[in-house]
Order: sequence, then C-alpha cells, then structure tokens
Amino acid sequence: MGTNNNKLAINFCGMDFQTPLVLLSGCVGFGEEYTRVQGFSHSDIGAVCLKGTTLEARLGNAPHRICETPSGMINAIGLQNPGTKHVIETILPELDFSETRFIANLSGSTVEEYAEVARLFDDSPIDAMEINISCPNVKEGGVAFGNDPDMSARVVEACRKVTQKPLITKLSPNQTDIAENARRCIESGTDGFAVINTLMGMAIDIEVRKPIIGNNQGGLSGPAIKPIALLKVHQVYQVCKNHNIPIIGQGGITSANDAIEFLIAGASGIGIGTALFYDPLICPKINQGISDYLDAHNLNSVSELIGTLELN
Amino acid sequence: MNQTATKPHRDTIVCEQAEILCHDAFEGEQYILRIQAPEIARRALAGSFVHIQCDPSLPMRRPISIMRVDAKAGWVELLYKVFGHGTALLAKRQVGEQLDLFGPIGVPFVIHENKTRPLLIGGGVGIPPMIFVADELKTQKQYTPFVIMGSEVPFPFKSKPSTVIVPGQPDGVIGCMPLLEDWGIASRLTSKQGYPGCFDGYVTDLAKHYLDALNDEQRQEVEIFSCGPTVMLEAVAKLAKEYELPCQVSLEEHMACAVGGCAGCVVEVKTENGPAMKRVCVDGPVFDAYSVF
Ligand SMILES: Cc1cc2nc3c(=O)[nH]c(=O)nc-3n(C[C@H](O)[C@H](O)[C@H](O)COP(=O)(O)OP(=O)(O)OC[C@H]3O[C@@H](n4cnc5c(N)ncnc54)[C@H](O)[C@@H]3O)c2cc1C
Ligand SMILES: Cc1cc2nc3c(=O)[nH]c(=O)nc-3n(C[C@H](O)[C@H](O)[C@H](O)COP(=O)(O)O)c2cc1C
Ligand code: FES
Repeated sequence: MGTNNNKLAINFCGMDFQTPLVLLSGCVGFGEEYTRVQGFSHSDIGAVCLKGTTLEARLGNAPHRICETPSGMINAIGLQNPGTKHVIETILPELDFSETRFIANLSGSTVEEYAEVARLFDDSPIDAMEINISCPNVKEGGVAFGNDPDMSARVVEACRKVTQKPLITKLSPNQTDIAENARRCIESGTDGFAVINTLMGMAIDIEVRKPIIGNNQGGLSGPAIKPIALLKVHQVYQVCKNHNIPIIGQGGITSANDAIEFLIAGASGIGIGTALFYDPLICPKINQGISDYLDAHNLNSVSELIGTLELN
Repeated sequence: MNQTATKPHRDTIVCEQAEILCHDAFEGEQYILRIQAPEIARRALAGSFVHIQCDPSLPMRRPISIMRVDAKAGWVELLYKVFGHGTALLAKRQVGEQLDLFGPIGVPFVIHENKTRPLLIGGGVGIPPMIFVADELKTQKQYTPFVIMGSEVPFPFKSKPSTVIVPGQPDGVIGCMPLLEDWGIASRLTSKQGYPGCFDGYVTDLAKHYLDALNDEQRQEVEIFSCGPTVMLEAVAKLAKEYELPCQVSLEEHMACAVGGCAGCVVEVKTENGPAMKRVCVDGPVFDAYSVF
C-alpha cells in the first residue's frame, strides 16, 4: 500500500521517484530500520539515503550523541558505519530495490578516500550517490572540505571520474557563499544537490559545566534550521535552474506546508530527517498534504510547483 | 508486496493513540500511568519500552519501560519519575486525554529454563521492567524468584510485611511489594533513607546476604536480571562476576528515533571482534552485563 498518486512522481537526476520525499542520511540507518514500524512503507517515498559510509569501518563518537534543543536537536554520531565493503556485500543484498530508490552517502578524510568509496559503490546496485562534504562531526574531511569551494570541487571531480551513477553533492550551510560552491560543484560534474546539512551547535549542562554532547559540538537539525535551509535552497536554485540540476531541499521539514515552501523555493526532492523522530508515520501525511495543495491550486503535477517563487 | 515473512523485524512496532485510564501521583514526583494501548499490550515482553510524546508541544519523544500489561483488557502500565522538561509535561496529562506513543521496542529479558532462581534487582525507576519479569515468572511454578528493589525516594506503593521467608535476610528486613506478594513472589526493599522494614544499604549488599545463604547447588541456579541507574548496574555486574552468575541488565541512553535509525543511543560493548557500538533501542535495552561492564 502507499501513495499511488502520479501527481507526486518526479524525475530526479534520471531516477523515477514515486513521491518527492527522500529519507535523509543518518536518520534511517541503512534503509530497513523504519520498516519496523507498522504502517511505514517505502512506497510512500521517492528515495532513501543510507548512513554516511567511509572506506573502513568507524565506531563513531562517544555518548551522548544526541540532545534535544529548542525546535530541534544536536547530533554528533561521528559517522559510525561498518565500512564500504560491508555495506555493499552484506547490507545492499538485503534491500528490496523494487520498493524505492536507495542512495549511498559517501564520506572520507581525503579526496582519494571519497573516490575509492565512489568506485566501490559504482560496482553495486545502488541507485545514486550523495557526496557528503558537509558532515560537522568528523575531524578530517567532512565540513572542512565542504566549506572550501576548491576542495569541494576536487572531491566531486574525483568521484565523477569513477562513476556514471547520479552524483548528488550535499552542501554545508556553515559557509559564506553557498552559491559559489554550488557553481564549482556543477563545473566538476555533480548531477544534483542536497541542501542543507546540519549547522554546527552546542548545548551545555550547567550543573557540571560540560557540553552535553560527548563530541562537545554537533550538527543542529529540525525546525530550528528551516528558515536558513529555505534561503540556502533559494540561493542554490538560482545557480541550478539554468543547468537543470535538481535539489533535495532539507532542514526542518515537518509538514506539507514546509514541503511546499521548499518546492516553491526550488527544491525537487523533499528531505525528511528529524521529523521522522517526531512521527515515524509522517511521510504519507506530507504526501497527502502536498496532493491536496496541488488539487486546490489546479496543478497537475508537483513539478509545476518547483521553483515558482515570485520575489517581492 | 508483503515482505514481513522474509524480514522478521518488519511491522514489529505499532503507533497508538492511547487514552489515559489512570494517572496516579506518588511521593518523590513518581507517577503510575495506565493507558489503553491494546496492540502494544498484546506484543510487549519483559524489558520492552515505549517511545512517548509527553505533550504535543514537545515533539521529541521520551523512552519509558513497560511495567505491566493486560493483553486481554488492552492496557499498558508505566512508572516514571519527573526528571526534566519532558517528564514534567507528561505528569500534567489528565485521565481521558490521548497519548501518542509507539512500541513495544527492544530486545527483552530472556528467562532460562535451568536458571530456576531468578534474582531481580531494580533501582529507582528501574523497578518497572523487574515487575514485568516477575509477572512472566509468576505462573511458572518451577521458578523461585527473589526481587530486590532499592529507592532513595519513597516507594511508589505502600509496602507491607512479607509472609514469604527468604534465605539470608537480616532481622527486621520484612518490607515487600504487595503486588509481588499477591503473585506469590518474594521481594525485599532497600534504602539509605531509613524507611521502616527496608534494608539499610545498597541492593547489592542485600543480594550478597541472599546469595551467601544459598548452598552451591542453589547458587548455580541463580541468574541476575537488573535495571536501574548505571552506577547500580555496574555494582550488580561486579557482584555477578564475584559469584560467577549470568547477568542481564537493561541500559539507558538518550534516544532520538528509538527504531534503530539514528545510532544516537549507542553503548560500547565488548564482542569477539573487539569493541562495538550497539544501539540501546533495538540491540538492547537488555544486554549481557559481561559485555558492557
Ligand atoms: C529504555 C529506557 C527505559 C526507561 N524507562 C524509564 C522508566 O520506566 N521510568 C522512568 O522514570 N524513566 C525511564 N527512563 C528514563 C527516561 O527516559 C528519562 O528520565 C527521560 O527521558 C527524561 O526526560 P526529561 O525531558 O524529563 O529530562 P531532560 O533532562 O529535560 O531531558 C533532556 C533529554 O535527555 C534525555 N534523557 C535524559 N535522561 C535520560 C535517561 N536517563 N535516559 C534516556 N534519555 C534521557 C531526554 O529523553 C531528553 O531527550 C528510561 C530510559 C530508557 C532509555
Ligand atoms: C542523527 C543524525 C545523523 C545524521 N547523519 C548524517 C550522515 O551520516 N550523513 C549526512 O550527509 N547527513 C547526516 N545527517 C544530516 C541529515 O541527513 C539532514 O541533512 C539534516 O538533519 C537536516 O534535515 P532535518 O532537519 O530534516 O533533520 C544526520 C542528521 C541527524 C539528525
Ligand atoms: S535512538 Fe535512534 S538508533 Fe536508537
């Protein structure tokens, strides 16, 4: 069962998404976790981004890894993952690729590591790859690459050389000129963008005067970052629209109203992360809300809404 | 397509809008909450927990263990203590209101056939899963369980003198939990607060009195089940090692998703292949004490 509604279907980097919803990396493990919940269905979503994956296994950060903050949360997982080979050999064979699209999320501490992970995933059934140059929770690579347009471009270029699968570059909001970075990534061969990753933040336990998060700082997600994310999507869309490069908008989307705002701002895909922690069955509700909006505004397809923002 | 058959984890957790049936306050800001959640009641096992939206104004959920269920009547009972913002909001919820929750979640306690003397040790709000284990044991006559409960705030029930004799109990340690007594299960209480009928000391001290009073053969039949603050669990694990007893503990960690998706709730465990990070929500909350401490 699921949303059998053609109005919601989109094409993203050549892939057919049955709805614009994309479950976000790090929120849904390696694709099967939320299927524990009765009523949750992969047929309600366009794609699932798997947890950030590095060449070798990583244990991740010490607890606490998460902490609630006003209208959101901070996380510092530290890219816990079993390594690329394990993901390809043990996890991917368990996924049912007829249910939805699965996207790998690549991470590394050197340009070469990103390229090697991309090369290995190229020879796997994965539908696409998301280059995470915006993880705030690792000491090397991650956001350090994403905040430097030269490094971002080098990572994208190195991955582009080893795969023809769709490459989606995940941009960091922790940088001065996101549009310039997007331009450089397009030149280097990215097929799409994910905008935005988390913002860096901190929370302090005043009794012990220590950060609550084991890693001291972490990535802020949830409704608290939504207005920032929306503006960044708008800015990146100005660069993308002439190149036909689609965006997965994300950051604090928890309702159909939020999703529609991101679509209008220029996102084609709608990322759902923290909202799943609020309500594991939120996806069909958001689909229904978008669908109702399309009907109410005499639109035949969600594509007709994308990037229709009229500035004042 | 229904893949549940080939993927046994699928559809194991249910979301329910549960009506609050009773919500009783006890000293020390403790509450017993009974809700109508028939699907969760039907599926829950000792050690399972639910992930609750304390109030619609607070979207991030809180994990709370299941204390008792009545599968026939469809209710689930929880015991919680106000700790911070979320549990304070939960405490304000009224009978008749709907509570948004999902569960049951987690790997339960496993009761072994050859370990006929389960020793249940609960501290503070770690008591609920121990009640659930006792509930599962009560009809199985081959078991002789003993439950030790410790608290530094008044117990969320009125204790009474026990009529069941337990080996090794110091004079005057007679207070028990009436519900367990009704089930024919021996229990004793401990506290450093000098409550009448309670043992003056830690749960592990009273457990020692009990274990020392058993003969070798009886001690071989003991398995420890425990839930409570981490320092207490560490002491329980130490006791288990000292007496070479198997021991299962239920752990706590901050949680976001509670379904295994975010890796936010991990604890470090020892495995054959070295250290590993395991998720408290779906790889636990019950772990082999020897792998954690
Ligand atoms: C599997 C499991 C079962 C539990 N069972 C019970 C129970 O039966 N009765 C009971 O009273 N308590 C239980 N707890 C602890 C309970 O979840 C916390 O007391 C509660 O989350 C505190 O939330 P708060 O908003 O009141 O506190 P705050 O300090 O305001 O919470 C801030 C954040 O930290 C998290 N947090 C703080 N302390 C804990 C903790 N000990 N465990 C997990 N998260 C925490 C909160 O969930 C929240 O995200 C259990 C915890 C776990 C993991
Ligand atoms: C617990 C957690 C773990 C995350 N892990 C990753 C990750 O491994 N790779 C990545 O690219 N983004 C990761 N993210 C970022 C999300 O994919 C998403 O970009 C961000 O949370 C913003 O969306 P949201 O507000 O809807 O959650 C993580 C986010 C959370 C909350
Ligand atoms: S709380 Fe998300 S994995 Fe356990």
